[in-house]
Order: sequence, then C-alpha cells, then structure tokens
Amino acid sequence: MKHVRIWFSKTGAAKYISHLDLNRCMDRAMHKAKIPLWYTEGFHPHAFLTFALPLSLFMDGRRESMDIKLEEEMEREELMARLNGALPPDIRVFDVTEPVMKPGKIAYASFVALAEPEGESPEALLLSQMQALLCREEIVVEKRTKSGVKEVNIQPFFTEVELAVENGKVKMAMTLPAGSTENINPALFFEALKQYQGCEPYVQMERTGLYDASMTPFA
Amino acid sequence: MGKDVKIAMNQSIEKLLPRVQKPGRYVGGELHSVVKRKEEVEVRFAFCFPDTYEVGMSHLGMKILYHLFNQQDYLWCERTFAPWVDMEEELRRHQIPLFALESGDPLGEFDILGFTLQYELSYTNVLNMLDLAGIQLRSADRKGLKNLVVAGGPCACNPEPIADFVDLFFLGEGEEVDLEVIELYRQYKREHRGKEEFLRAAARIEGVYVPSLYQVTYREDSVIDAVIPEPGVPATVRKRIVKDMNRAYFPETFVVPSIEIVHDRAVSEVQRGCYRGCRFCQAGFIYRPVRVKEIDVIDQQCHLLCQNTGYDEISLSSLSTSDYPDINGLLDELLAWTEEEKVNVSLPSQRVDSFSNELMDKLKTVRRSGLTFAPEAGTQRMRDVINKNVTHEQLMKTVSTAFSGGWTTIKLYFMIGLPTETLDDVAGIAQLGKDVVDAFYATPNHSKGQVKVTVSASSFVPKAFTPFQWEPQDSIETLHQKQEHLVRSVPSRKITCNWHDADTSFLEGVFARGDRRLGAVLEEAHRRGCKMDGWSEYFSLPKWLEVFEACGVDPTFYNQRRRSFDEVLPWDHLDYGIKKSFLIEECKAAYANAVSPDCKQACSACGAACFGGGICFETR
Repeated sequence: MKHVRIWFSKTGAAKYISHLDLNRCMDRAMHKAKIPLWYTEGFHPHAFLTFALPLSLFMDGRRESMDIKLEEEMEREELMARLNGALPPDIRVFDVTEPVMKPGKIAYASFVALAEPEGESPEALLLSQMQALLCREEIVVEKRTKSGVKEVNIQPFFTEVELAVENGKVKMAMTLPAGSTENINPALFFEALKQYQGCEPYVQMERTGLYDASMTPFA
Repeated sequence: MGKDVKIAMNQSIEKLLPRVQKPGRYVGGELHSVVKRKEEVEVRFAFCFPDTYEVGMSHLGMKILYHLFNQQDYLWCERTFAPWVDMEEELRRHQIPLFALESGDPLGEFDILGFTLQYELSYTNVLNMLDLAGIQLRSADRKGLKNLVVAGGPCACNPEPIADFVDLFFLGEGEEVDLEVIELYRQYKREHRGKEEFLRAAARIEGVYVPSLYQVTYREDSVIDAVIPEPGVPATVRKRIVKDMNRAYFPETFVVPSIEIVHDRAVSEVQRGCYRGCRFCQAGFIYRPVRVKEIDVIDQQCHLLCQNTGYDEISLSSLSTSDYPDINGLLDELLAWTEEEKVNVSLPSQRVDSFSNELMDKLKTVRRSGLTFAPEAGTQRMRDVINKNVTHEQLMKTVSTAFSGGWTTIKLYFMIGLPTETLDDVAGIAQLGKDVVDAFYATPNHSKGQVKVTVSASSFVPKAFTPFQWEPQDSIETLHQKQEHLVRSVPSRKITCNWHDADTSFLEGVFARGDRRLGAVLEEAHRRGCKMDGWSEYFSLPKWLEVFEACGVDPTFYNQRRRSFDEVLPWDHLDYGIKKSFLIEECKAAYANAVSPDCKQACSACGAACFGGGICFETR
C-alpha cells in the first residue's frame, strides 16, 4: 500500500462544486480512471480519499491536494493522465508526489482576491475604501462557526496585506490562518467592507497555497 | 467531440451566483458536456427542461437526444433548465436573459428551443423560460425562422393546452424524427426561407404536428365541433417509434453532473413500452408496442457507459423492468463484470408477480430494509376494473417470500379516485395493509425486526389515450373524504398511511385533457407569477382558481365532466396507434369488472401493430 498526494487546481465552473460534491466527483473519477485504490474494510467499504483542507465554494484553488492509498504501484504520468481524462475540465491534476507533511501541519493559506468596483465607480475609490478599512484598529465581523455565530476582530490577521490596482480591479494578496485550529476566510474582509464602508465589489478569490507554522509550503 | 474547445464562463452570470443557492446548477463544465465552436455549426439547439437542473439531468430522454444531436457535426445542442426562483429574481433584476449552460449564450441566439414535456405541471415553467429568454410566448408572435419553439415528450400526446406557444410538436419517440426536422431546418436556414414555409414542409414529416395548421371549432355547449386541417396538411398525425431497439441510438456516455442530482447513476433502457394493459396508465398505451433490447446489446451499452462515466451504479430502466423476458439471464450477464468493477445493478421497481429472492440477491443495492410494490387498488374488484392483473394470493406470496428473505419494511402504492370506486374499495387498501402485516407474523422465519408497512395513496388523474379518457375525475372534496376514510380504516399502528395532495391532481387533471382554450389560462397564470407548480412550496390552487375565474374558464369542464364516447376529444387528430374502438371496449370491460390479457398472453388488437414492429410480430 502506497500513500500518494494528488495535486490539482479547481477553477472556473469547478469553483461552484461544494466540498461534499468534490468528494463524490473525485470518487467517481478514481473509479472511471481505474486507479487501484485501497478500500476501507468493514460493512460499507469505500475508497480512502482525504483532502488537505476543504476549499470554500466560490473560491478558485491553485494548489489543492488530496491523499489516496494505492493497492499497487502506478507511474506518476499514468496516474495524472488517467485522472485528467476522468475529471471535469476545470479540475486539473498537475502533480503527484509522495506526501511530505501531514495535513494537520497546515497553519496558513495564501489568497489573492480581485475586487471589481460596482457599476461605474472608479477603482481608485474602491482602493481607498479598502485601505481605510485596513487602517482601523478594530474590524469586527460576525463569523459563523460550528458552535454558532460569534463576533471576531479580524484586524490582526490583515496587517500584512498587499494592495494594487490592476486592469480596473483592486488586487489584494494576503496570508491568513488556516488549518484545523483556526481558519480566517478572506471573504470576511469583504463582509467588513460592506459593513464599514458600504461598498460591495464583485470579488473573485483564489487560494494560492498552503503553509505550515514556519511558512514552509505544504508538500 | 470538441474536446479542446473551452469557453470562459459568462461574467455577467457569474456575478449573480454568490447570491443564489446551489450555484453549480448554472455553470455547466461537467465531464462530457459538449462544447463546440459556434462558428463551425449551422444549427444551434437549446434543449430546455422546464424544471430544475437536478430533475432535468436525471432524465434519460434528454441524455439520449443530447448526445445524438451532438454527434452531428453541423449541430450543437446545449442544455438549459428552469432557474430556481432565487436565480430568476437575479436574472430579472439584472436584465440578463436565460442562457444555455455550455456556451453561456442567451437563448435568443439559438435557432431552435426544444422543450421536453414530462408533466403537465411544468407548463408554466415553459412559458416562464421563454419569457426569461426574452422570446415572445405565442407562436403567432414569433415571425422569423429563428427561435423556433419545438416540444416533445409524453405530454405531447395531448399538446392542445400549450399549442398556442409551440410551433411544432414531435409525437412519439424522438431519435429519428427530431433529426429529420432539424436537418430540414438547416436546409431552410441556408436558403433563407421563412417560418411559415418551413412549418408547412415539416408538417409533412411523419410524427410532426404543427398546431397552427389545424383550426379547432367548438359547439355551443363548449364541446369541440371539429379539428380542421389546412389544405395539404395531414388530417391525423401519427406518432413515430424506433422499430428496433437493438439498432436504436444509445449514448456511449452521459454528461456527469458535478453536483448531486436526483438520479445520479448510469441508466440502461432495457425495453420500451409495457406488456401490461393497466387501464389507468397512459405510459402503458402511448409507448406501445413493447420492443425489447437484446441482452448482448444492453450488456455492451452498460459496460461502455460505466467505463466512460465512472458511475458505480447502473439502473435497468423501463416501464416494468421485471417483465423483461429473461431478467435473470440479463443480470447474470451483467454480474459477470459488475462485481469485479465494483458496479451495482438496480431495478427501479418490483412487480408483485415477478418478485423472487433469487432476483433480489443479484441486486446488491436494494437495502435489506425496504421494498416497494404497487398493487394500485385495495380490492380484487377494483384491480380487475383497472386491469392490474395482480391477485391477493400473489401479493401475499410475494410479501411472505420477502419476509422470509429478511425484509421488514414494505411500501405499497395505491390510487384513490378510480372509476367505479366505492368507500369499501378504499377501506380495502387499509385491509390489504393489514393482511401484509399479518403475513409477516405468519412467516415462520421472519426477521426479528419490527414489521413496517406504508400504504401510499395517490389521486387518479384520467389521461388521454387510456380507456379512462372519458371518465370524470373525483372532486377534491371526494378525494379528501376517501383519504379520511382510508385513515379511519387503518386497523394497525404498524401501518403508516400517506397520500398525495389532491389540489395538484386537480390541476393536472385539467391540463391532461384540456384543449386550446387553456392557452389563455396558462398565459394569465404565468402573468400572475404561477411557476414551479410541481413544487409544493410554490403551487397554489387558490391562485389558479382565480386565474380560471379571470379567464372565464370552468376547470371542471375539463377534469370532472363525463364525456360521451362520440365526443370529439382534443387529441383525436393525433394517432398513437391505439384505436379509439379498442379504448371504448376496454372502458366497457372495466365497467363489467372484466380483465383483458396482457400482450405476452394474447393480442387484444389495440392497433399498435400498425407500427410494424415489437411484440405485435413475435410469436407468443
């Protein structure tokens, strides 16, 4: 039995596939690709399939990963080609590696958000509104957690944000806590923007990478 | 099939998605969805399913036609579904027309919009989708050849209520006739010819009904006087069938949805039509004659489909799959590879008289807990009336077999409101439930679990092309009385009782046997916001009754009136192969509690032999 980490991107139409649906989608792709998966034993055998960290709906993922266990060896290229032939066009497998870190080590995720001003409003105004929000001492938003809704000050997480204007949009790059202990979704920032600045740009978000506590890329 | 063509998603649509539930319904991009270059095709066809993505994508007919159409190089068939109410609101607010999933292009850009009519309660969605696309609702208001609106499916057997909005109907099975019409369209488009000319030419193709070429006149008592075809147009239109199922087109792959849908599995159609002649069942008559697909063909199609989609379940579909001539042989053939490839085989329903534990053992997906049978009526007299040739003894034998095989939960489907039904027949449903409970305890080796019997009663709706097409439908009050009587008659707490909403059956009954005068009603209902009538959260009978009132139309004229055998029915000019004289005989037999043989036993000369194929020409 061999542990394998599958690296893939999930973009375009695929960003509207929920985590639960992604699971089914991958399961079916494995079946179609005839990947010699290791099945759990027991009353309802199912394929062992585990994702490093779920990706939110509406978010592109550039470097997502999923671990599987193989019953028998398979060439990396073969595995990639077979899976890509079995997946929807907007989910692409680009690498297969041996797992180095455990998913539990993940502590941060990097994101890029592209905010497009509403209607005819100029991007410079949006930029200044975003800057103004970042200058506040406190940014309190409601965050939904398993135990209910609570108020969180997200200001401390958004201290090292890069802002730039690009093709009529404001690009925002940031690194936020992610993983099993704490997760800050960049969407919270845009909820705060609506709340504090009254502006609601259309935002495209992507998760670009995952890191451990010492900011070493998840591998 | 255009594997390397990729289209970026329509940005204006994407911006709406954060505000709606289940955005995956609106984005396409599924495995095996077909993307072509629009400059390279001559005809663009939008397959429109007037219900949600999850419902529409579960439908086999759409899968067949989608892939068949897209095999033609000159043609690109895309899909569109009724947007859920939240998405509709966003589309309207931002003035974005309804679009097709593959290209994201507005439906107004399409040559042909093809609707499938699976149930009467989806008619308002048809109108709403046209409206959302910014296309004129009425056929007469659409002048050009572009945006031709066509429709097919079971409800096309009485298309009159929706005839004002549809340019052309396909009667019967679409595999051949649809392409003939689209090919003709291609030619007329090339030659820049007009819609009128095209429709007249199309009407000469067998299986094509162009309602605007037929004038309907009415008598003073509101009954139809005559249906008069224009000169040169056939007086009756006969449905089309695929004669040989072994040679009929069947897709090698399906579009595999990325989000969960209602029936998310591979489907194989093992036969078309049904041997039985249940008198209430429209499908049993309009899909005649029975045509069987050979085991080898099914096996090969199933295997390919599973390989190409990755599905781990295959459903053997037909109106009555356990009637397949050699069902055990078919299952053995399939099991030779399905076990190894971790694929489960399932049957959509079980018949009371062909159930066996041997069969069940081969169908691993059937959970040990639940089995469903449809005796349809509670007393033998009633079952004889509807020609449901199932006896009390057979049912008892079947449930005993099931109980000894370890099952504990049985669900029984019935109908109430059947012709000649009395309260005793209704009470018979509860009694039958009780007999099943008793059979559990009488089975020596029954499971230690608790027995649970569910009786489910739907309301009978008389349909066109059945022996009951002249019958009045029970009023809502009568149905409610019968539902209450059923509940009062249930003698055991081990029996759970449920029933379908009588209000929706009422409306279904109106449109099932309606005529063209309902077009104005549909339009008014649409104007007043009726939509998603198949969804209980949106259906409102009071709202509909207001619409009928406003239009001066009495709905009970259509659903609760007894018609005489010599009345001109709205669908009399459509020929589904079933002779009216046969239906009259069957209706009279029903009144006499007399049963008729099924097609396997003997031929009743229904008329379906006119198609020159199927069971009608096999030795029995």
